[in-house]
Amino acid sequence: MRYADLPSQNPADSVPVLLLHGFGTSFDMNWRAAGWPRVLDTAGRRVIGPDLRGHGASDKPTDSGLYLPEHFVADLLAMLDELGLESVDAVGYSMGSRLAWELALTAPERVRRLVLGGFGPADALAGLDTTGPGEGDSPFDHVYRTVAGLPGNDAAALAACARGQASRPFQEEPRPEGIPVLLVSGARDTVAEGARELAERCGGSHVEIPGRDHANAVSSRVFKEAVVAFLDE
Amino acid sequence: MAEENITFTLPDLGEGLVEATVLEWQVSVGDTIGRNDPLVEVETTKSAVVIPSPKAGRVVELHAEEEQVVPVGDPLVTFAVEVEESAPQAGIVGRVPTEDAKPKRRVRLKPPTD
Repeated sequence: MRYADLPSQNPADSVPVLLLHGFGTSFDMNWRAAGWPRVLDTAGRRVIGPDLRGHGASDKPTDSGLYLPEHFVADLLAMLDELGLESVDAVGYSMGSRLAWELALTAPERVRRLVLGGFGPADALAGLDTTGPGEGDSPFDHVYRTVAGLPGNDAAALAACARGQASRPFQEEPRPEGIPVLLVSGARDTVAEGARELAERCGGSHVEIPGRDHANAVSSRVFKEAVVAFLDE
Repeated sequence: MAEENITFTLPDLGEGLVEATVLEWQVSVGDTIGRNDPLVEVETTKSAVVIPSPKAGRVVELHAEEEQVVPVGDPLVTFAVEVEESAPQAGIVGRVPTEDAKPKRRVRLKPPTD
């Protein structure tokens, strides 16, 4: 698995921030181009940014059985072990949020704080078992069509990833206990419907970004400021 | 130190994209910003990105409103940048001049052959 490890120029006494990108993108596209490393650098935070399997410069198997949540979590834990990191603040976007949640459930001692961006409790991949990704009109089909043609993406690997994720729909329980949670989503993000209620049920908080949707919330200043403040608490 | 105005156009964002929508300016007119500071957040059909400032300087003019669609190559922002009085005023500033922006000074790179 390829990952970026970006030390801060003015390191604060805190754990690194693990940034987990969304479906069909990569660390560079989801986070770096959206200006996140600089913001976290200024906040004194080291950034760890993997390309999740099937994405970016990491391996891209085309067997959907290799894209179950536990595979992603195993990749992440192996990376944290390799880096010698006991714990991190995990910040996800979209599919990356679901995986951050799974990481916190599997290894709660490795996650200090949890941020779920562009994510809600609804099953974003409902119906994918019977149709091909991108063929329907669900919010996820729109996401798939947007990312499938991006350079560097492997459509077969992405389809396998979508099916693998769809075979294990997100379940709200059990919840990661004892880890502070922040949810952030665009006011017009249909993929993240129910984010506020999920935050309430988790005893966490929710920040809504006015006017933004699933595609353009990630670069928003409101999102960055909310995350930096939450991670600094 | 003298000041010179330099206009920065929307760069080619790659992948054959011809335009972008301004989401939010990260600076205001009058702000002094450093090179690589966040300048503007834009959205293309493929992603949302923050464009860093190509220059250190003072923001003189923003050429696009938020939510406005800007074609690649159109003016985005004008900076006043400090220039050394003694520095040669060569026309090399790392940009392609637009047709209506006349170079202040013509620099002849080759001696006349006639």
